[in-house]
Amino acid sequence: MNCKVAILVALLSVFSVSKGNAVEVVVNQSVPVQTITLNKIRAIFTMRQKFWPGGEPIKVFTLADQDPIHKKFTKNKLHMFPHQLRRVWDRMVYSGTGRAPVVLENEQQMLDKVANTPHAIGYLSKEPENEQIRVFVNE
Amino acid sequence: MNRYGFLSMNRFVLICYALLLSSQVQADFWREDLQVHGFLTQNFFHTSDNNVYGHSDDGISPGLTEIGLNVSYQPFDRLTLSAQGLYRRAGHVDGGVVRLDYGIADLNLFNSQSSNIGIRGGRIKVPFGLYNETRDVAFTNPTILLPQGIYFDRSRSLLVSADGGSLYADHHTEYGDFFFKFNLGMPLGDNEEIRSSILGPSASGDFEANPAFATQLSYELDGGKMIFAVSYMDLTLKYQPSRGEVLSSGSTAIRPLLFSAQYNGEKFGLTAEYLYRWNHYRDYGVVPNFKFISESWYIQGSYRFIPQLQGIVRYDTFSSDIDDRGGQRAVSNGLSNHIAYAKDWMVGLRWDITSSLMIRTEYHRVHGTAWLAQADNQQQSNTKQDWDLYALQFSYRF
Repeated sequence: MNCKVAILVALLSVFSVSKGNAVEVVVNQSVPVQTITLNKIRAIFTMRQKFWPGGEPIKVFTLADQDPIHKKFTKNKLHMFPHQLRRVWDRMVYSGTGRAPVVLENEQQMLDKVANTPHAIGYLSKEPENEQIRVFVNE
Repeated sequence: MNRYGFLSMNRFVLICYALLLSSQVQADFWREDLQVHGFLTQNFFHTSDNNVYGHSDDGISPGLTEIGLNVSYQPFDRLTLSAQGLYRRAGHVDGGVVRLDYGIADLNLFNSQSSNIGIRGGRIKVPFGLYNETRDVAFTNPTILLPQGIYFDRSRSLLVSADGGSLYADHHTEYGDFFFKFNLGMPLGDNEEIRSSILGPSASGDFEANPAFATQLSYELDGGKMIFAVSYMDLTLKYQPSRGEVLSSGSTAIRPLLFSAQYNGEKFGLTAEYLYRWNHYRDYGVVPNFKFISESWYIQGSYRFIPQLQGIVRYDTFSSDIDDRGGQRAVSNGLSNHIAYAKDWMVGLRWDITSSLMIRTEYHRVHGTAWLAQADNQQQSNTKQDWDLYALQFSYRF
């Protein structure tokens, strides 16, 4: 019995640790949506979904391809790999059929940009303590 | 040094400087409604026989250089203006000029949470297969030489971009994403390579393209982990013979149908495309009207050893006439039979040093000469059926 409890505790702590390490999709408070599906979030970060339901243009921010937070974000939140995302953006940018998201240098810049840009979306490695930013909940 | 030799150092430094400056401009004066991107690629080729991109036989040819700079500006939420200038120098086929590669006004007509519909006008890239729209951007290509049976370099100007309009639509569902494009426009191609690829090396008149259409439907799963696409084009070229030529003013219709499939995993990638092309020659006088079907396909596997290092293997085959795979018609026209086909085994290695700097190398073993450029191989009788090709590429982008 004790053994089972120990395993349960160990499992729970593993889950809570991985939850603590998870990436959060964050938006500016002005964004008129509370929850989002995997499809929608993919459509936004592949730059195919350009407007929020109210018609406000979406401002997408990202970190560099090799940034560990970016890698974690593409894998955990988009269920994709950075090279797949890169392929989609490059195709649009170099054929004139779309635009790439704005690449920021670090997480602090991401926090500042999402906090100060209306209708912005980005991601952070932890829940922000900033009233201008809200965490997007997966549907 | 002849005009197809290496770019003079001064010019090269100047272009590099301009590119760096423009990336600086982007960093310093970044505005959210204006984006600037570009690329610079230099390639080197060596062949055991036959020439590619200049004089590569028993030497090293630096004859393929590609430099592009593009701007995208969004004056209103639903309107995007974008343009790209391309400098391309390709052996004896293209001496090197700057062209407008695309210049597009894109108007988004309808946007819901799962769909987009819009129109584009101007000079638009032709959607064809997996790679055509960005065929000159090394970073977006799997290899230095794209599979030539489908992405012919010698007749590329018919495929690169067209002046006209386009309708596009996409729809996102839980079961994948659908993309549709329909382009109508004037292809830009009227050069000697196209003439010789269609009428052989002795023709001397001019081709002029009629308005053509190109359409593509693609389906992507998991944000592009699996991609399926069908592309179709219909183009007709009218021939104006030169004075005293035996050919009369005929026309050639070309209708390629292309199926594409791709798997993009974390480490492993697999790509295949199959081309079936109807060709119809009419009213050339001395040559009877005739129809024939060209066929090409390739299969390509890639593996990422680490995210920056990728190995690639491909087999690519092309037959210019599926009822004459051995090239008997070429022989009866006084040409070598191996001009009718090409089979190409290749292996390559790509190293992404940073996200904006890439170097790669590849080796090809080729059987046949169907996609060799005539401008680089003036005497068809001197070409060899079995040959080796080595290539090296440096590319920078921002």
